[in-house]
Amino acid sequence: MVLLYTDFATYLTTDIILYTGAIGLLLIGLLGLLILKNIFRLLLSLVIFESGANLFLVLSGFRTHGVAPILINSQDNISQMVMNDPVPQALVLTAIVIGVGIQALTLTLIIKIYQRYQTLDMKEIHIKLEQDIANIAQTSPLASQDKPQYMTNQTEHSNKGISSGGQV
Amino acid sequence: MKMLSLLVILPLAGAFLIPAFARISTNLARVVGPLILVYLLSLIIPIYTAFEVNQSSSIQFAGFIPPYGIAFYIDELALLFSLITLIAFLMIWPWGKTNLDANHQEVREYSLYLLLLSASLGLILSADLFNLYVFYELLAVASYGLIAKQDTNKAGVASAASLRYLFLSASGSVMLLLGIALIYTQTGTLNIAHISTLANDKLQNFAGFAACLLILIGVGVKAEMFPVNSWVPEVYGVIDRRLTALFAGLISKIAVLFIAKVLIMIYQQEFILNIILFIGLLGVISGELIAYRAKDMVRMLSFSSIAQLGLVFIALAIPGEVGLFIALALMLHHLIVKSALFFLSEKMHSNLDQLKGLYHQSPIIVILFIFLILSLLGIPPLPGFWIKLNLIINLTSVTNGYLAIGFILLATVIESAYLFKLVKTMIAKTDDVHAAYQNGQQKSYYFALILSLGLLATTISITKVSDSIQNMAKNAANKELYIRSLVPDISKQHKLSSTNRISQLTMHNRQQEL
Repeated sequence: MVLLYTDFATYLTTDIILYTGAIGLLLIGLLGLLILKNIFRLLLSLVIFESGANLFLVLSGFRTHGVAPILINSQDNISQMVMNDPVPQALVLTAIVIGVGIQALTLTLIIKIYQRYQTLDMKEIHIKLEQDIANIAQTSPLASQDKPQYMTNQTEHSNKGISSGGQV
Repeated sequence: MKMLSLLVILPLAGAFLIPAFARISTNLARVVGPLILVYLLSLIIPIYTAFEVNQSSSIQFAGFIPPYGIAFYIDELALLFSLITLIAFLMIWPWGKTNLDANHQEVREYSLYLLLLSASLGLILSADLFNLYVFYELLAVASYGLIAKQDTNKAGVASAASLRYLFLSASGSVMLLLGIALIYTQTGTLNIAHISTLANDKLQNFAGFAACLLILIGVGVKAEMFPVNSWVPEVYGVIDRRLTALFAGLISKIAVLFIAKVLIMIYQQEFILNIILFIGLLGVISGELIAYRAKDMVRMLSFSSIAQLGLVFIALAIPGEVGLFIALALMLHHLIVKSALFFLSEKMHSNLDQLKGLYHQSPIIVILFIFLILSLLGIPPLPGFWIKLNLIINLTSVTNGYLAIGFILLATVIESAYLFKLVKTMIAKTDDVHAAYQNGQQKSYYFALILSLGLLATTISITKVSDSIQNMAKNAANKELYIRSLVPDISKQHKLSSTNRISQLTMHNRQQEL
């Protein structure tokens, strides 16, 4: 059987395009959160991840050729009509608002961190944070306990190497 | 009973009104929080004492007919946890801070505490998945704020810890939302009781399992679950010890309660329970191994807390009310012991090597510490022993249960190794005895003393306490009761369809005849 373009087009309904979009956004966001190091880019990945989830949520109430529940005239044949589910639309509105609030909060935290640590690199912030926590607890950081002396020297060198990168 | 909705509404209103009150009078802003707490306590105590064992009820908002609209479910378990939450917030309320500066820094902290209180109570009472998501986000936002607010003298550190926590927790929240969306696509409802009636037909597929895993990972961030708990030592390392006691003691338990609610009511399949078992096992082993290597008190206690929550997850892997009973007992035990240990740690030097000779400086603190860790380890006749014994006996009937028992015993050995090593350091003789003792707040010490006395009282009346927890778990795991009080109309249909279809038909015929 030869798969023609027209056959393919019939499969390519609005539903499939939208679901692919939602899952694609989710994957892009998750991948970004896992592999990126710059905290500003991490925030952007989080935003994309959230949009994917929101799109997925609103799609759960979507019906092809569906109408909004209010847009029904008395003359229309109601039994023939398909209605979009309004509940996910209400939910997604809440989720979007929460997401925006968290993004704003994250940006303020990023500004504060940049003022303190002079870097946006997550790895570097992590190392400095561990050092600071150890200072508060008046101990040395955990990881250096069993490392031979020459290795700790090496990591210090490589840390200095990172500090030049990691800015927007 | 309707008044119980004030549990969520009052703190929420208070949180947003406190900054406005502070403009009128700083003293007014200072008393609003404690007043709300005391009023809510006076509201809930009579209801809790008058509550009968098998009773349950629900609150519907805005006059919607269930399963539509928002509902709160109230049973003995929810009331008990609300009571504990209120008392815990009264304990850690920042009373001591008297200098209200021009920027109203303290006022913002009061707001955040009230927001956290409102979200916690909402999570305990809510019986609607999306509402749970909203309260979970509220809890998360309030905790990011509270963590970042600890920055005053160690500028930037708390913000960094808060940000690293935020990325993990916010990704978790998105996964939770995705899980809820998946459940909605399958069942078309958000009411947990309604989903519970539909679960056997509609959630026994790939989408249903995926939703469960997403919810588990999402909520697991707050519950210190194994793969998503890297925030724990960082956050606990930079914040105030009393706030640590709240986070490790209470907030993590509320998240576990959320997971337990979903597992008991919706997912009781062996496949999922087995996943929970392995997650719990990995948590126990990894937590204890890292705690063994820890060099400061907070890190040791936070990793031991991860391990204890791993035990709770293992208990949840036992199906039905038995699992819930053991999980509840573990949670309550850990709530008391770990909060008390964090309170006590405020009086100790944070570096474990510096604790040498603490016993000669302040014997009561060391005796309390030993008493608490003995219960944590499970030494008879302390409550910790009976809980662990019950857990191990009941694990024998679970798939892979013997593996779990082996690892739990191994973890206990590791745990006792590092805790006894610490005790040995504490009671060692030394010339310089002044280093170990820290002049923390005297109040924390009294709280630790009260909690330890509570543990002692529990030890004496162990049968009574375990009976009441067992009854509570029995009711909380009672699906029929849950469905009947939340969605009464659907419960009738559900019962008919599940028990006897023929009788339903005859009833229908009879109605037609009439």
